Amino acid sequence: MANSGVQQHSGGYGHGQHAGMWVFPEAEQVTGDVAGKTFALPSGYKLALGAAAVLTVLGVIGFLMKLAGGGFANPGPWGYYVGVFSFIFMVTGAAPLVACAFRFTKSHWRRPASRVAELFAVVGVVNIILFIPLMLALPPIYNPESPGTEVLAQQRELGNAAECCLPGATDLEVRRTLWFEVPLGAPHLWDWLGLLGLAVCGVALLWLSARPDLAQAYYTATGWRRTLYGLVSGGWYGTKKQWNAQKAGLALLGAWYFMLLIFVQFLFVTDYAMSMVPGWKDSVLPPMYTVMSFQSALSMILLILFIMRRKGGYEGYIGKAPFWSASKILLGLTLLWTYHLFAFFITYWYGRLEHEENIIRYVFTQPYLILFLGNFVFSFVAPFLTLIWNPVRRSDWGPTLAGCFALFGSLLFNLRTFNAAFNTGEHFEFALTRVPAAVWPNLADVFIILGGLGLVALVYMLAAKVAPLLSIWEVKEGAKYQKMDTLIKGEYLVLAKPE
Amino acid sequence: MQEGRVLSTREVNRDLLRSILDSPRWFWPVVTVLGLILLVAAIAIGIMVNRGLGVTGLNRPVAWGFFITNFVFWIGISHAGVMLSAILRLAKAEWRRPATRAAEVLTLFSLMTAMIMPIIHTGRPWRILYWAFPYDFARGIWPNIRTPLVWDPSAILTYLTSSTLFVIIALIPDFAVLRDHTTGIAHRVYGVLAMGWEGNARQWKLQIIAGVLLSALILPVFVSVHSIVSWDFGMAVTVKSWHSTVFAPYFVVGAVHSGVSAVAFVLILLRWCYGWQDYIRHEHIDALGRLLIVVATGWFYFLVMELLFGMYGRESDELAVRQLQFTQWPYNAWFIVFVVTTYFIPVILWLSRAWRRNLWIMSIACISVNIGMWLERYLIIVPGLTNKQVFTFVWAEYAPQPIEILIVGATFALVTTLMLLFSRVFPLVPLYDVKEGDILKTEMKVGRRTVPATFRED
Repeated sequence: MANSGVQQHSGGYGHGQHAGMWVFPEAEQVTGDVAGKTFALPSGYKLALGAAAVLTVLGVIGFLMKLAGGGFANPGPWGYYVGVFSFIFMVTGAAPLVACAFRFTKSHWRRPASRVAELFAVVGVVNIILFIPLMLALPPIYNPESPGTEVLAQQRELGNAAECCLPGATDLEVRRTLWFEVPLGAPHLWDWLGLLGLAVCGVALLWLSARPDLAQAYYTATGWRRTLYGLVSGGWYGTKKQWNAQKAGLALLGAWYFMLLIFVQFLFVTDYAMSMVPGWKDSVLPPMYTVMSFQSALSMILLILFIMRRKGGYEGYIGKAPFWSASKILLGLTLLWTYHLFAFFITYWYGRLEHEENIIRYVFTQPYLILFLGNFVFSFVAPFLTLIWNPVRRSDWGPTLAGCFALFGSLLFNLRTFNAAFNTGEHFEFALTRVPAAVWPNLADVFIILGGLGLVALVYMLAAKVAPLLSIWEVKEGAKYQKMDTLIKGEYLVLAKPE
Repeated sequence: MQEGRVLSTREVNRDLLRSILDSPRWFWPVVTVLGLILLVAAIAIGIMVNRGLGVTGLNRPVAWGFFITNFVFWIGISHAGVMLSAILRLAKAEWRRPATRAAEVLTLFSLMTAMIMPIIHTGRPWRILYWAFPYDFARGIWPNIRTPLVWDPSAILTYLTSSTLFVIIALIPDFAVLRDHTTGIAHRVYGVLAMGWEGNARQWKLQIIAGVLLSALILPVFVSVHSIVSWDFGMAVTVKSWHSTVFAPYFVVGAVHSGVSAVAFVLILLRWCYGWQDYIRHEHIDALGRLLIVVATGWFYFLVMELLFGMYGRESDELAVRQLQFTQWPYNAWFIVFVVTTYFIPVILWLSRAWRRNLWIMSIACISVNIGMWLERYLIIVPGLTNKQVFTFVWAEYAPQPIEILIVGATFALVTTLMLLFSRVFPLVPLYDVKEGDILKTEMKVGRRTVPATFRED
């Protein structure tokens, strides 16, 4: 038993009950124990922080190299930057939603995972800054080289905007985008505002959820922490009215975050991938991107839970139940992603339209074949083959391993898709008439990829030293809603589900 | 506190077998009326076969109309069975218990009904043999195995077979109860169907494993069926507005939306007709309502994707179809009715807990969804085909004729009749599942409150 006051049933149940699946923390001792873990800074943690900081510095160097190599005049060199940004956005944007979704479904197993998921909202703030270079790298919607731009402007004044894009023309006056009437600042500013809204909503969600824990931490903390906790948890006394308001607020903010996330993901993947490839009209891409974001976010949460359980001293709070339950959802999401991919592929492949075949060749089967195969193997084959086994799903390492595969697959998906989109060469054509060559990463790109990942780790680990990684109030609440009881001849878990 | 009281085994048997052991008074008159409707529809089909498809509104270029719309609709309804039964069983959702059997049976009968529609639609049903067994080698008539029209029957028959197995496996313990409660021929028939079921530990273990395995295996089949139906449209590049990559998930989610709504409505009907208030409780309908909010919102998202990306391409042919759908009478009116009835009316009604627990309001919401979903399929099929394309010189608009309306209307009577007849012979609420649920049900004291709780095996 790693923690005093924490019980972990290790067997002896009736048939069907699995050892270590559920843990039974004692509500009275959770607060002090978790606060101690939050405030502590062990050497392993320091080492990880240092490594993340070094990677971040490498990323900055890579960014400066890229900037010195031609700036934002040509979008092509920024392909890998967009890819790694998209990966970060995918994981960190969807993670808070995982907490909201399972809180909404009243799943008990989510309790130790809630804060781990919500804390990614802090990285959402970093996304706003990382996105700024992307606004400069994205080509304008109007074709600057088109002789008809002035004519188009006149047509727009006359209200004939649709005349700008007659099919059959080799070059378009405006790129095909979602911004049909091209409002002011579209798409750059609107995408950024979407990200800003998402970050604000995510931080509000985190604050609302963490407020009871921060209020409790206020009494045990000293120095700057005490001042900070006093500020952010101000006025929380845990009255019934406050708890009801918190519950309603979490539901409302969760619903709002969900809608905003889906909308921003839809804008981002359309503006930064689809609209950059001539003729790519793929209505299943935004849902596929969203499904993959859920898969990646859940994978990342499992990875962090595993590290907390094995290395962080949280095994008394994190049983195998979160892994077992999340693994089934991860398996479902893995299959769902593949289904969306197949829906895209079969429609284009069977249609036999030349420009659609070119898109398949370009993004999937020819220049980026290796990346695609890697993406397919790590996003589908490996997690699927890992997760179909019951004993593997019941372990803590099995779902984590599958999650690691899925995360790597997701990284490859983003690098492939966005880098290919940014390197088509011609973004104003009506259809893709050729298969462009692949562009592989140079040193600056490698630095940028590593730096992006390092920055996320750094920010997250710093945030975890301020807000507890375990949602204390949810774990304590959960402890009251579970017990072992006898049914016929065996001892089984009883879970309460209050309305 | 738990909703509903814990019932004894004797009470469960008595209540749920009542529909089999004693016919309610209304039963045979209702079946007779439905039978008459089916007879009229059969005559209508006979007339259509005799005179040809000219008696329908089908023409060039609108070769698919009410029949194919109805085919897609019933395929959609059939998706409820697996959604409720397999997914909720795997997810261990306790509230699924009274709903699973009705959902599975609705799957079977709606699939059978759906399969009839393309056969009627051919106008010369016996010629289907040409496609399956092309004996006319001399003229080189071969079926094109690469067409989704060949994948369709394969997928549907696989789904029908697996769904039938699914229903039978779940029925075995209930057959045994029926065997023990009947005499004479009925006793012998149920005895054969029960396959020697005695309810020992080994049999229960096998039955549970079979149920879980079938649940997992049937899920890909369930997804594939409506995906393939969607590809009947999605693969056709010549019909603008159909060649959309999102069609497969959009169709599947839409099918679940209409199917689960239909199951909720059927459960409400069963509660009214057979007085099963202790089994189909407000909490079950409430849970279905909450599930439907999520499904409806997912469906609406896919609808928006489909419409937005239809216009995103800015291809004049596709814009013309959209113009037809959105601005031209009567499609524009149908379009508004479709969106309002499929999403806005039901979701607004489902948002209130009190309304989700009001059976009248839930019935209205569920019927509204299915009206909308039927219109959705019509609006996908007909405007797409109606849009005039270049180099096509024979042109007509589609207007459904009375014979089509009659046949399509009769399919609802067919499914209702089959459900009623089934309920006369087999229990529509699974006895063993309800009993198991009652055993696992318990309560827990948390502070000063007593809250509902459940025993879990994992």
